[in-house]
Amino acid sequence: MGIEKFIFYIFSVLLIASASMVITVRNPVKAALFLVLAFFASAVLWLLIKAEFLAIVLVLVYVGAVMVLFLFVVMMLDINIERMRAGFIRYLPLGILVALTMAGMLIWVVSGDGSAFNHSVLHGPSYSNTQALGLVLYTNYVYPFEIAAVILLVAIIAAITLTLRRRPNTKHQKPAEQIAVKRHDRVRMVKMKAEERK
Amino acid sequence: MQTIYLLIVLAPLLGAVLAGVFGRQLDRTAAHWVTSLGVGISCLLSLYVFKHIVIDGAASFNGTVYTWMISDGVHFEIGFLIDKLSAMMMVVVSFVSLMVHIYTIGYMRDDPGYKRFFSYISLFTFAMLMLVMSNNFMQLFFGWEAVGLISYLLIGFWYKKETAIYANLKAFLVNRVGDFGFLLGIAAVLMYFGTLDYAQVFSNASILNDQTIDIIGGQSWSVATLICILLFIGAMGKSAQVPLHVWLPDSMEGPTPISALIHAATMVTAGIFMVARMSPLFELSETALTFVMVIGATTALFMGLLGLVQNDIKRVIAYSTLSQLGYMTVALGASAYAAGIFHLMTHAFFKALLFLAAGSVIIAMHHEQDMRKMGGLRKYMPITWFTSLMGSLALIGTPGFSGFFSKDSIIEAVGQSSLPGSTYAYVAVVLSVFVTALYTFRMYFLVFHGKERMDEHTRAHLRESPLVVTLPLIGLAIPSVVIGYFFVGSMAFGHFFGDAIFVLPQHDVLAKLSHEYHGPGAMMLHSILTLPFWLALSGVVTAWYLYIKRTDIPETLCRRWSFVYHIMLDKFGFDRFNEIFFAGGGRVLGKILWKVGDVFLIDMLVVNGSAYTMGWFSGMMRRIQTGYLYTYAFAMIIGLMALLAIFVL
Amino acid sequence: MNFEMPNFLLALPEIFVLGMACLLLLIDLFLKDQDRHLTYLFSLFTLVLVAVLTVYGYSGERQISFNGAYVADGMSQVLKLGVYFAVFVVFVYAKDYLRDRGIFKGEFYLLGLFGMLGMMIMISAHSLLTLYLGLELLSLSMYAMVAMQRDSARASEAAMKYFVLGAIASGMLLYGMSMIYGATGTLDLSGIASQAATADKTLMAFGLVFLLVGVAFKLGAVPFHMWLPDVYEGAPTAVTLYIGSAPKIAAFALLARLLGDGLINLHDQWQGILIILAVLSMAVGNIVAIAQTNLKRMLAYSTISHAGFLLLGILTGTRSGFSSSMFYALSYVLMALGGFGMIMLISRKGFEGDKLDDFKGLNKRSPWYAFMMLILMFSMAGVPPFLGFWAKLSVLEEVVASGMIWLAVVGVVFSIIGVFYYLRIIKLMYFDEPASEEELECSADMRLMISANALMVLGIGLFPGALMAACAAAFSTT
Repeated sequence: MGIEKFIFYIFSVLLIASASMVITVRNPVKAALFLVLAFFASAVLWLLIKAEFLAIVLVLVYVGAVMVLFLFVVMMLDINIERMRAGFIRYLPLGILVALTMAGMLIWVVSGDGSAFNHSVLHGPSYSNTQALGLVLYTNYVYPFEIAAVILLVAIIAAITLTLRRRPNTKHQKPAEQIAVKRHDRVRMVKMKAEERK
Repeated sequence: MQTIYLLIVLAPLLGAVLAGVFGRQLDRTAAHWVTSLGVGISCLLSLYVFKHIVIDGAASFNGTVYTWMISDGVHFEIGFLIDKLSAMMMVVVSFVSLMVHIYTIGYMRDDPGYKRFFSYISLFTFAMLMLVMSNNFMQLFFGWEAVGLISYLLIGFWYKKETAIYANLKAFLVNRVGDFGFLLGIAAVLMYFGTLDYAQVFSNASILNDQTIDIIGGQSWSVATLICILLFIGAMGKSAQVPLHVWLPDSMEGPTPISALIHAATMVTAGIFMVARMSPLFELSETALTFVMVIGATTALFMGLLGLVQNDIKRVIAYSTLSQLGYMTVALGASAYAAGIFHLMTHAFFKALLFLAAGSVIIAMHHEQDMRKMGGLRKYMPITWFTSLMGSLALIGTPGFSGFFSKDSIIEAVGQSSLPGSTYAYVAVVLSVFVTALYTFRMYFLVFHGKERMDEHTRAHLRESPLVVTLPLIGLAIPSVVIGYFFVGSMAFGHFFGDAIFVLPQHDVLAKLSHEYHGPGAMMLHSILTLPFWLALSGVVTAWYLYIKRTDIPETLCRRWSFVYHIMLDKFGFDRFNEIFFAGGGRVLGKILWKVGDVFLIDMLVVNGSAYTMGWFSGMMRRIQTGYLYTYAFAMIIGLMALLAIFVL
Repeated sequence: MNFEMPNFLLALPEIFVLGMACLLLLIDLFLKDQDRHLTYLFSLFTLVLVAVLTVYGYSGERQISFNGAYVADGMSQVLKLGVYFAVFVVFVYAKDYLRDRGIFKGEFYLLGLFGMLGMMIMISAHSLLTLYLGLELLSLSMYAMVAMQRDSARASEAAMKYFVLGAIASGMLLYGMSMIYGATGTLDLSGIASQAATADKTLMAFGLVFLLVGVAFKLGAVPFHMWLPDVYEGAPTAVTLYIGSAPKIAAFALLARLLGDGLINLHDQWQGILIILAVLSMAVGNIVAIAQTNLKRMLAYSTISHAGFLLLGILTGTRSGFSSSMFYALSYVLMALGGFGMIMLISRKGFEGDKLDDFKGLNKRSPWYAFMMLILMFSMAGVPPFLGFWAKLSVLEEVVASGMIWLAVVGVVFSIIGVFYYLRIIKLMYFDEPASEEELECSADMRLMISANALMVLGIGLFPGALMAACAAAFSTT
């Protein structure tokens, strides 16, 4: 068993274990952290097949940006875990059964000598897949790439549509008016006779 | 030219739609103007087409206007076949229709359904033109059903009158029987030819030779015979041949203009036209031709006899129509298609004339139709009287009048035919000449001559009908008198129809006759030496003797021959037979099916049972549809696994 | 490396829609609420222009560009025009409804246009990647549209269900695509078609099942349909109208591209799956619809049953089968637009006309619109001579032609069961007493459009030849 296979199995097991922890641990913060671990493990697997660009992007984008944001959200929201898990035990056996069957099928299909898959060629150390990606991304794949950009745009629009709202009853300041205010706007001088003391 | 053809059919349709759908926005005058104008346009254009095709001798047109759909390689199309046959029919249909439109303005003046009536008759004109101009069986069937539908609507036009509703239901049901045969015939054509196009079917007609088909009972039939008889059953329904004739006399419940247009001149002749159009098929089967001839001869003679005992003026003409349709059918059976169509044309004019004249009389008599309460109308209504006389003379076949030429050529043609049954047919048509003369002039004398039998009030109001009524009478009287003289040479004995009608040489009786034909004048002279002339004359004399001279004799005869008289009053028992056997049997069968089939099987087992099953199923599905996300996701996973298990493992 | 410059002109409609949508995004920002109808007019203008571009930009022959990611052929032309039309009608119908409910915002039209862009991309896709991206673009727009009415708890719930389940379905679709990619080594659909014969059978079948599960979800076929009634009912009717119409054309395109262009050689495998989906959909859709009291929910189940019919034509795997399904999809969309449009016609401010009982006695209140509804219902039930009849007839004909008479019989039986609930509406409209005597109130463009819509159902039903010929032509060139 070569060192590569050894690393592969270590990190595969780590990936599966942390992924299952994501959906089983009770504390959502812990679940998010396990997800981070799962990302790391899969980044290592990317590295093993010499896809260093994808590995780095995975860590940078998902771990560095997405998951941090996600943690913020989870911590800010007060989610009642116990209530959400009410039916968990009841459906667990069925869930496990389904999961096992599914896994069994997957294994059955994917097992074998692997000739079913089209193997891509493993390149030498001088090959940069960052450069290769860069070459095709804006040429051959310009159309899908642009569509992906549009999807992100739509995601932004959707997010803004769903969150941006002016509540009719909220009170907020208008600094411009505050600065421009004159004395007579606020104070009314009333001339009146002094009242006699009774 | 295609634009013109389209315009011919669409102009009446547009009129009908305007008068019918936008009736509320249009006033009465506008309604009759748009419809009459539409029909007027199509009449003028039909005349132009007639000139183009017949007189200038242009080639016939056969083209598709619109492909409705294509299914399994069969084209369902709307198309026109304009040859001499259809050009002639177009002129007849649109001309009579125009006359009837004008006439209706006067006849229906005070009717609340005025606009509806105009919409119907215009729509009818559209449907009838579609029928005659069709170049395929589908459009033929469309027109066929459409004219049937409008006929149904118009017979029951006065839908508050119970007899009218009964009559239109009867017409509808009887026509169903015929149409069922017709549809089977078309289906058989489609099955054997794989196309509905006339030209393709007719050019391949010979493939039917010697083909046989096994029908239930193990008997093998010639396919050609089967197709022709099925198609002819359709014609029997539409053209009211025995025993499917029972609806036509009752259809007189409708307003008189439609009796003239639909139940005398055009729709009822659709069957005759159709058989003539199908001549390449009918020529293949002598059995079918014999069948046609025997049915036609029976209708001609026996329906004429019934006309003798009717007292309702419209019913007399209705039976006369039946009898004349019988003549046309006989001609078809004898392969004298051209003579049949020729008679169709002349009959359309003089029978429409007689109906409209009868309508004119009916208006004057304040909707009294019983001839026993008329008499001596001649001096009150001179135009109606004169035109009726012209029509009657044409009907009985007075030499020189149009009916003479067409009827005489049919009688001669049948005499020449060598098919089995032709002797019977010949005897029947000759005898029926006498009968025709008798009932026609019985009616004529009863209405226009003799004692004035109406009450004082009616007599005081008797006067000639207005111009919109008399004008169409005159318009129809002219062709009724002269048209035979001009067309007998080419239509009956010449090659007027060209390729439109196909006759095998061994059947071509008209060709045999044409050797002895030396012009219309000679034909008239010759007729004085023949039996039909003397029979017609004796019919007229008998009528005069019985109804003018010795008016007591008919009653005595009725008493003396009361048995025969009652059989005839009973219309040979056709109606009674239908009522007891078909209607009664239908009711019994219906009751059994209702009790066993409906109440027990369907209501109890199927309906309640299936309702219960459906309810159970819906309830179960509703329980599954919990509204919880994880249930839905779970269902998806289960579905995925099931599919994987079935299709991958 | 050799790089061929893509033919950008080919994708002009897509580029144009994207440009106009971005422009609209900016314009809408500066509009005051009372000028919001300018957004509406601008969107309609965009649709008309893109239709012109599509018609005149098409050379008449099949062209592939963008390194095999984009295809323009007869099918894409007809379907795109169908989509434009459907979205146009949706926009017109939606205006009053949205205004009455205070959600007449630019976002509806913006997301609608972006969703339409997604559909166009799917219709013109020639690789698994573009298919998937187009689908995601469409789905994302629709999720957001469903959730747009934020004050409504039902709408939020519906959006959440739709989003989560949609994500699962997308995951399955993507997984299936990756399997196919793994087996064939290409994303290009014609490449897949040529590789399919030599690729590993099990792996392909495995990928195929996942792929079809994803598509079945989008189409709403049983047993992947459960989101559909909840989302249809929960979403604002204007959005339901959007979801229920144009995306069905796109779903057909997805199936036609995947199965017809890509995996036609695996016909034996996918036929069985589609038969199961079709029969289940027709059964569940028609039977459960009977038990509904909410018209939107009933139409949702009717959509499910129509999805079953749509699959019938495709599962024959023949060109004429695909074209009959295409005819079905286009006809169905026309009818669905009318059906949901009628709900919006009778609803007012503060009143959702989506109960069956709201249609009681409509004939007394407005005979003309009752008649329009009658046309639509008869057509959906498949009564001749309306459009729905020809749609059903043509798919059933194809099924019979491919020798599966039992399947055609099943289809007929379930469509007869389905007649029940369509006729019930007609019974309610014509024979029951109205609950309210109020006049229908709506703007002229809505009235005009819905009458035109229903009359088209009647008109094309009388003369189906042209549309049938267009559908047949779409599949004769490929």
